[in-house]
Amino acid sequence: MRTGHFKDSYAALVALSDSRVVWAWTGVLGLALLALPLLVGAYSLTLAITILVAIVGAIGLNLLTGTTGLISLGQSGFLAIGAYTNGILLTDHDWPIWAALPMSGLVAAAISLLVGVPSLRLKGLYLAITTLAFSFIVNYLILFFESVTHGSNGIFLGDVTILGFDLSADRPLYYFVLAVTGLLALGALNLGRTRIGRAWLAIRDHDIAARAMGIDLVRYKLLAFFMSSFFIGIAGALMSLQIRFINIDIFGFLLSIEALAIIILGGLGSVAGAILGAVFLTLLPEAIRILLSLVVDPNASTYSKYIYEIRGITYGVVMVLFLRFKPDGLIGLWRDAKKFFANWPLAY
Amino acid sequence: MRGSLKSALLALGVLSAGATTAWAEPGVTDTEIRIGDVNIMTGPASFIGQAVSVGSKVAAAEINAAGGINGRKLVILTEDDGYVPARSFQALKKLIEVDDIFALNGTSGTANVLAMMPLITKANLPTVVTTAPNELVYNPVRPSVFTIGASYETAFFAQLKYIHEHNEPKNPVYGLIRQDDDFGVAVEAGYSRAIKELGLKDGIRLKYKKGQTDFGAELLQMRQAGVNVLANGAIIASAANVLSEARKLGLELQVADVWSEIMPPSAKLLAPAGYSFFVGDYIASMTDPAALSFLERTKQYMSETDRQAVNRYSFITYAGLKVMAKAMAACGKELTRACTVENLRKIHGFETDGLTAPISFDNAKQLGGTEVKVYQVNLTDVSFKTLTAYTQY
Repeated sequence: MRTGHFKDSYAALVALSDSRVVWAWTGVLGLALLALPLLVGAYSLTLAITILVAIVGAIGLNLLTGTTGLISLGQSGFLAIGAYTNGILLTDHDWPIWAALPMSGLVAAAISLLVGVPSLRLKGLYLAITTLAFSFIVNYLILFFESVTHGSNGIFLGDVTILGFDLSADRPLYYFVLAVTGLLALGALNLGRTRIGRAWLAIRDHDIAARAMGIDLVRYKLLAFFMSSFFIGIAGALMSLQIRFINIDIFGFLLSIEALAIIILGGLGSVAGAILGAVFLTLLPEAIRILLSLVVDPNASTYSKYIYEIRGITYGVVMVLFLRFKPDGLIGLWRDAKKFFANWPLAY
Repeated sequence: MRGSLKSALLALGVLSAGATTAWAEPGVTDTEIRIGDVNIMTGPASFIGQAVSVGSKVAAAEINAAGGINGRKLVILTEDDGYVPARSFQALKKLIEVDDIFALNGTSGTANVLAMMPLITKANLPTVVTTAPNELVYNPVRPSVFTIGASYETAFFAQLKYIHEHNEPKNPVYGLIRQDDDFGVAVEAGYSRAIKELGLKDGIRLKYKKGQTDFGAELLQMRQAGVNVLANGAIIASAANVLSEARKLGLELQVADVWSEIMPPSAKLLAPAGYSFFVGDYIASMTDPAALSFLERTKQYMSETDRQAVNRYSFITYAGLKVMAKAMAACGKELTRACTVENLRKIHGFETDGLTAPISFDNAKQLGGTEVKVYQVNLTDVSFKTLTAYTQY
């Protein structure tokens, strides 16, 4: 019999969930995601792909910032590395996507060690600024090594296929990105339950105490950089598959801020939070657009500039209000809802 | 008998429906044609997108007032990309899949157009690029993409040639400062061409990172190199900062600037430095008779707020939609994307009433309106004096 959070075996302790209801609902969600392309139009599918790519990137950042407590503003740099590696390997070296995609993650991860080593003694805002500087360096290097990266001209991805499916079409791309996202999310969930994940949590909560307990800070911090950048590199590669054009302008500083906003709004340190944050922040502009279009027709007058500014302001206001009234993020909201229904009718 | 009549009517219905869908194109109904534009409607560069949007909508209003295109009204649908290429992709996807546009007129910046290019090519979307005449857009040629405008390379060459022939100081030494991106590369190409073809003395070439605000070090290097003719490849606030720093250092310069500086807000930023700078542009300046005539002619379609947003980008997007309309009109009632693209390819010498040089797309690059005028700012009222007619360089 289930009795709250009491576990009577190690297997139960490390299991992703011991609740059949949770597994049943996860199955329903999986089926719904598989059926999605049959139910929605091409634009909604594009949004779904964007969400999935954002989820991969957010999970990656969450490993570093949410789980290990190392603040990074270098995501745009790692996204660019992943996208460029993927683009160069596919376009200039005719690699198959099944090889180019993991290599994109590996290259980003390997380069992250270069940032990780000098950052080992840094924490908080100092680390944030160091990683931010790294993303600027990446931009410079991309422009400098023009013979490899095509410089400011960018790279157009040609036809990319896997198992005979053309990834320039929405449906095959959706299923491909869904599969990659699913695998990586599962990987991240399991990672959190291993010695590595627990060591990261210990470092986040108190690094000196963690070291006193025998955790090798150098090794685990570098591992956090490595794994996080691997995920973000993969996200960059997936992004390049979706847009099919890569240019440094795509990887602006704003992307790093948006990634941080996703994991903060979703809930730091949680894979589910990263997923909820990615869904929420990707769909928020769409929701605002639809809601405002019910009130004002953006094409009603010859000059309709204000509607776009209102959308932007509303986006900011929603985020501010959310953080003010729900500082533990969407995952906090989700936990409150679960607790409410678990204790119903005695919920308080 | 009744059953067979019903079957016959149903069959007729199915046939007629089939006949309708056989030539029906996305974005075209019996009464309207939907044209999309993806623009910078928010953020620091939103003055560009707002001007583009006004240009498109004014052209549509004029065309509709004259009866539309073979009886169909033009409807303009604008999406904001905030100057972020990934958003341009998403915005065009929405315009194609949700709003069902027939063609595209406004297209944001160069990287933004390129991010949209796979979608444009896949849908064979008739597209007139008016605000990003970068070589990357028309080389290689995409069948449905037509570009209006000279490159930054040509504009800079034109200005430097004018300075060389008419305003060159004694012992001229030329210097360049430019951004470290595709735009900067194009500016440097124009500078290099001028140095080579006109046999000018190349003093120094400097690059800077987009968004840089302090140019003290760069201008000191310019002074050290003895530069007295500056090709200023910085834009808007950065361009103003370059000139302001040059004035602080007491440099006497002839200055060639980017065409974005011809817009009143930008020109007002640059003017306090006191350099009577030059601009090369393929579009009429705000004080050009063609522009004044445009503003007068279109008063009936524009509110006062609209008029404040008008700048060079309005003129060129207006011209872009007009040329697109001509191609669509030539298709007759059975309008298709393929026919529009075919007719755009035949465009030759399309008159824009002086807003640009006559536009021709019947060339290998599908590139028109490349002739450039050289202007010089009048510092007293920040207006622009036209120095040359539209000239092919």
